[in-house]
Amino acid sequence: MSIVQQSNAPTSGGGSGSLYDVLELILDRGLVIDAFVRVSLVGIEILKIDVRVVVASVDTYLRFAEACNRLDLEAGSNKPSGLTDLVGDSMESGAKGKSKGALTGAVEAITDSLQGSGEEDDGKRERERSSSKSSSGRRTTRRREE
Amino acid sequence: MSTYIYAITASDHPVRLDGLTGVGEPASEVRTVKTDALTAVVSDAPEGLRAKRRDVSAHQAVLERLMADGAVLPMRFGLVGPDDDQVAAALEGNRDGYRERLTELDGCLEFNLKVTRDEDDLLTEIVHESDEIRRLNEFTREHPDAQNEKMRLGELITEEVKTRQEREAGEITDRLSPAALNTAIGDPVQDTLLNVSFLVEREKAAGFSEAVHKEAGRHSEAHTFRLNGPLPPYSFV
Repeated sequence: MSIVQQSNAPTSGGGSGSLYDVLELILDRGLVIDAFVRVSLVGIEILKIDVRVVVASVDTYLRFAEACNRLDLEAGSNKPSGLTDLVGDSMESGAKGKSKGALTGAVEAITDSLQGSGEEDDGKRERERSSSKSSSGRRTTRRREE
Repeated sequence: MSTYIYAITASDHPVRLDGLTGVGEPASEVRTVKTDALTAVVSDAPEGLRAKRRDVSAHQAVLERLMADGAVLPMRFGLVGPDDDQVAAALEGNRDGYRERLTELDGCLEFNLKVTRDEDDLLTEIVHESDEIRRLNEFTREHPDAQNEKMRLGELITEEVKTRQEREAGEITDRLSPAALNTAIGDPVQDTLLNVSFLVEREKAAGFSEAVHKEAGRHSEAHTFRLNGPLPPYSFV
């Protein structure tokens, strides 16, 4: 597993990474007052929210069929879950150790932001981001000091 | 001049606005419109406002500040009333409804969780577990022009992808819901198999985060859990 925790502390000003990840909440949820108008979101200049559901269509069928044809079913490095199966217990305990580490950091970050003690801990706040999507089949989490 | 509305709070909310700037270029000044029971946090609405990054950012920053000091009803980005008087009238008009909602949300925060799974990983699992799909996959690899088989393969995979994503999304939501007061499932965005918001009591936030990490630990490396929060309760107003 990999987990990315983005703590939107009241004083953090909302990093652009986390802003993007909650964009659809800000634009599509939240309270409205019926009698009032909303500004048009046509021509929205920030990255569009890309809604992708699995739709049954010829395009989807062909895309999946081709993606499936391209799979390297024998190579271990390209199939993370298969790897877990193969390596078995040792892999599992490795993953557990890792999740425990991530957990501690996250709880600290949450506690910080809930106490609103932003000023003094801004410098040491940790933000975790996933590495770029274009890397191989596996996604990892990077921890970064900001 | 029309009035842009960020949030509604109870009149006893401290509403610290120092250092905040509103939407628009140049940034508008954030101020309040008050009635006896309620406060609306507003600014002048700039001409031609659109959802630019800096504007959405400003909206969110105002809400995050307010959220730190007490219950808040976050408005959807871009809500504009004709003028301050009519904003006050709207507060008065639904006074009891807003008060009630503020009481219900007092001490509660939103956490948004997005779960993705690497597509190749999911497809590999599907191929391994279905004889028919495996057969069609091998056949279409050897016969790239076999369009009917290719379509059939794609159709079977699409069904499997849908079923498996829904099952995983349901399982994750069911296991996390007990750690939250309320749950709001959102539409999938980008390649998420699950996009869900939870309403969590402030003092239980650390426990909730722990539950999410525990849940993430149950899944393979191919899964990415992105947890955002605490957020103003956008999904629960």
